Amino acid sequence: MSVIATIPTILASADSGSEDSGGSFLVQPGIGLMVWTLLVFAIAMFLLGKFAFPKIAEALDERQRKITESIDAAERGRKEAEELAAEYREQLQKARAESEEIISRARRSADLHESESKDAAKKQREEILDQAKRDSEAEARRVVGELRSDVASLIVDATAKVTRKTLTADEQNRLLDDALGEIDFSKLSTEGGR
Amino acid sequence: MSTRAKVFTGLAIYVVLIVAVAVIFGWTRDDNKAFQPQNEFKLDDWISLGVFSINKAVMYVVIAGALTVGTMVWIANRMQARPNRVQTLVELLYSLMRDNITRGNMDDKMAAKWFPFIGTIFLFIWFSNMIGYIPLPTNTHEKFDLFGMQIPSFALYAATANLSIPLVLALVVWISYNVEGIRAKGVVGYLKSLIPQGVHGPMAGFIFVLEFFSNVMRLMSLSVRLFANILAGHLIILFMGGALVVLLGIEALGVITLPMGVVLFLFEVGLVATLQAFIFATLTAIYLGTAVAEEH
Repeated sequence: MSVIATIPTILASADSGSEDSGGSFLVQPGIGLMVWTLLVFAIAMFLLGKFAFPKIAEALDERQRKITESIDAAERGRKEAEELAAEYREQLQKARAESEEIISRARRSADLHESESKDAAKKQREEILDQAKRDSEAEARRVVGELRSDVASLIVDATAKVTRKTLTADEQNRLLDDALGEIDFSKLSTEGGR
Repeated sequence: MSTRAKVFTGLAIYVVLIVAVAVIFGWTRDDNKAFQPQNEFKLDDWISLGVFSINKAVMYVVIAGALTVGTMVWIANRMQARPNRVQTLVELLYSLMRDNITRGNMDDKMAAKWFPFIGTIFLFIWFSNMIGYIPLPTNTHEKFDLFGMQIPSFALYAATANLSIPLVLALVVWISYNVEGIRAKGVVGYLKSLIPQGVHGPMAGFIFVLEFFSNVMRLMSLSVRLFANILAGHLIILFMGGALVVLLGIEALGVITLPMGVVLFLFEVGLVATLQAFIFATLTAIYLGTAVAEEH
């Protein structure tokens, strides 16, 4: 390309121009500038080394220390929490076992109590029934006794009227035994007892 | 529209624009002899103090130094336990300088001693490079009128694009590591340590001469690497940004060169400025580390 090809010639012509426009100053070190640079650099290094770097380093180290600490703390906390959790778990297990034990014991005692009270109730009921039976039997017997004496006196009276004679004690007894033997009082007594 | 379609459309617009401008304004040369691109880097005495005259480069050095110290001290004084973005960036930079550059190349005791030096080198060069990409009113040849004031034209310049500044820094580095080496091993021991391990007999003498000159040449390589990179970057930005158009007198060429200038500018700011500062500081640390190291 012609444009590109002409660049070197232009630069060359620029170089060969007046003495002022030469390019050699580009690579010529200047003592003054070097001294200025050294001065500025030395001051910059002094100031940075005194006021900037230590503070930054301190802040970074401080942060690093804090991070390490907080990681350690977190680790510790985690361990503690784990231990605590394990402890709790153990306690919970123990409590659960205990509660199961209590429940089963209660159940057992309840069962026992139930059967006991059932037995007692049964016994009591039976006693009451027995008592009632006994009472009613005694009552029946009493009634039968009364009936018997009533019937006896009636029979004696009736016989005396029929025979127009007063019966002796022996005759009365024989008569009563015969008459009453024919009446089945046991039937009465059993019906009355029920 | 897909990304590929966008890229091709952009390129097509670019090409059409070049053709249109070339057709409208014509592609004719009108060589300009008055404009001298290298004069952008020329140093005129502003305040005459003989050899210590204040010029553009001195101003840039002072600005760079002031910015380095000002920024770092300002940030150092507002270091917080919960860092904001700027502090995070500075901390990252600080860790890079302290842990990677310095501690990576020497033992901890020596690192503690030399870190301020290496850190300052890195920051000072970095700030020097970076302010080189900010247009400042430094061109006293061309002035423009602003409400009656004659303001020098805004121009790009970099202190590190002048050989003196990298050279004096390289000189300080060179003296530092050689002195450290001699202090650690004695003059004879240090000179002997220049010969790599395992070289014996007559070869050792030959290798010693080579190594000795290579050591001296570090002064050149260290300074010229920085200087040439920054100068080349500024020159190419200058050419792409308009110098080529002015020199050749082809206005239409600007359509081609200006986008390239923008891309190169971003490349220089984003990569070269930091990279060169990093390389200078890293080499300083390596030289210091190897000078005192037992084995070479």
